[in-house]
Amino acid sequence: MAKWKHNLKGWLTRRLELPADAVMDLPRITMVGQLHIYIENHQGVLKFSNDEVRLLLKNGQLVIRGEDFMLKTILPEEILLEGKIEHVSYLDKPKN
Amino acid sequence: MKEYIKELFSGYVRIKVVGSYTELFINRCIEYHIPIWDISRVNNDTILLSLYTGDIKRIRPHLKRTRCKVRITARKGFPFLVKKVVYSRGFLSGVISCILLILILSNMVWSITVNGATPEVEHKLKQVAEELGVKRGEFIFQLPTNQELQQKMTESLEEITWVGVKRSGSTYHFEVVQKQLPEKQPPLNARHIVADKKAIITKIYVEEGQVQVKENDYVKPGQLLISGFIGKEDKSELVPARGEVFGKTWYVTDVSIPLKSTFETNTGEKEAKYSFGIFGFHLPVWGFSKPEFSQYETIVQETNLRFLKWEMPLSFQTKELLETKEVTREYTEKEALLAASQVSREDILSKTSENAEIKEEKILHHEVENGKVNVKIHYEIIEEIGKNIPIIQGD
Repeated sequence: MAKWKHNLKGWLTRRLELPADAVMDLPRITMVGQLHIYIENHQGVLKFSNDEVRLLLKNGQLVIRGEDFMLKTILPEEILLEGKIEHVSYLDKPKN
Repeated sequence: MKEYIKELFSGYVRIKVVGSYTELFINRCIEYHIPIWDISRVNNDTILLSLYTGDIKRIRPHLKRTRCKVRITARKGFPFLVKKVVYSRGFLSGVISCILLILILSNMVWSITVNGATPEVEHKLKQVAEELGVKRGEFIFQLPTNQELQQKMTESLEEITWVGVKRSGSTYHFEVVQKQLPEKQPPLNARHIVADKKAIITKIYVEEGQVQVKENDYVKPGQLLISGFIGKEDKSELVPARGEVFGKTWYVTDVSIPLKSTFETNTGEKEAKYSFGIFGFHLPVWGFSKPEFSQYETIVQETNLRFLKWEMPLSFQTKELLETKEVTREYTEKEALLAASQVSREDILSKTSENAEIKEEKILHHEVENGKVNVKIHYEIIEEIGKNIPIIQGD
């Protein structure tokens, strides 16, 4: 059922050119050089430290590594992170 | 931008959250819409974050649930800034001393202006004013009232007829009316001198004119004494008659003097009390004790303190208590007669012309009635009896 719904959403974005982040609950990530990273559509903070931030996403996690991190703004679905960003990577949700 | 302004005006705190589940705490804050920002990590179990002052209470349940401890490290924003400034000792003492200074300076004389006087008189007036205490730097509430100043200054300066004293704020204005120098007398018109009242002539001095009466003549009011016509009849000339004619006149006075009378007099003993008034209540500063006198009259002088141009509900009051004594005076009949004569003499002299002289005094009649002595006194007086009347020439 869930898979079928996901497929439908994928088809809708392709056919109707709807923004993927809105339709499919994907994170939208905006970066300004290495200084800022702005993440929308996150599901919460898993880990926050000076050199690593882990955010929970709908399916998986987002790992940001760098130096001197500071959460400038944090709202229910948005985060503005400041510092020196070196690495952004996705971790897939382990399949059960 | 909006957030920034809110931060400034509502005041926020930097707090230190200590616990092993600080991320959970952050998530809960987001979930319950408690705005937090500028989050940074200090060490493994400590984070620093900013929070509105008003939200401190709201995070308490989440702290409990996530087993975190909190400590406030800094208070920022406008309200805290104000508090800090206001409660800092230097600032506060500065404000207080500034207000005090203005208060003191508002109650000082700062300038004196004189209007309507020549420079010479102005200088003299300023000197007199200084003697009375009106000079720069003097406290206004220590000075006599405007009426007193006015009276004293008018008395002590011969050159002025009147001086108006007005105080506006810390400035004294003196409005001066200077005496006019006597102008040259206009040439006199031709005139006669006639008798003003019935009298027997005692002395005649003539400066100009023709004498119409002799010494020891009896004259009636209106009778010609010194004529303004001089020269022989066919060559007569008109002059302003000048001269003095003294005559003996008679007056009868009726005086009644009570034998017994009571009145209050000051004994000369006095006490002063000073007090501060605030909104009409008076706080004594000096002179707490009850006066030692049983009978006294009070003279109250009150000066309001000023702040810049406003009168303040603060005042400084000086109360002078003058001891009085009730005195009963009793006259014997003889003393009463003496007093009556004194009273009637004064009365007569006030009625007659300036250089009058009492020649003879005779008590015609006296009686005691209802505790009063009624006296009738007859006076013989030598005074000037002449009166000028202009000569109006006919046709």
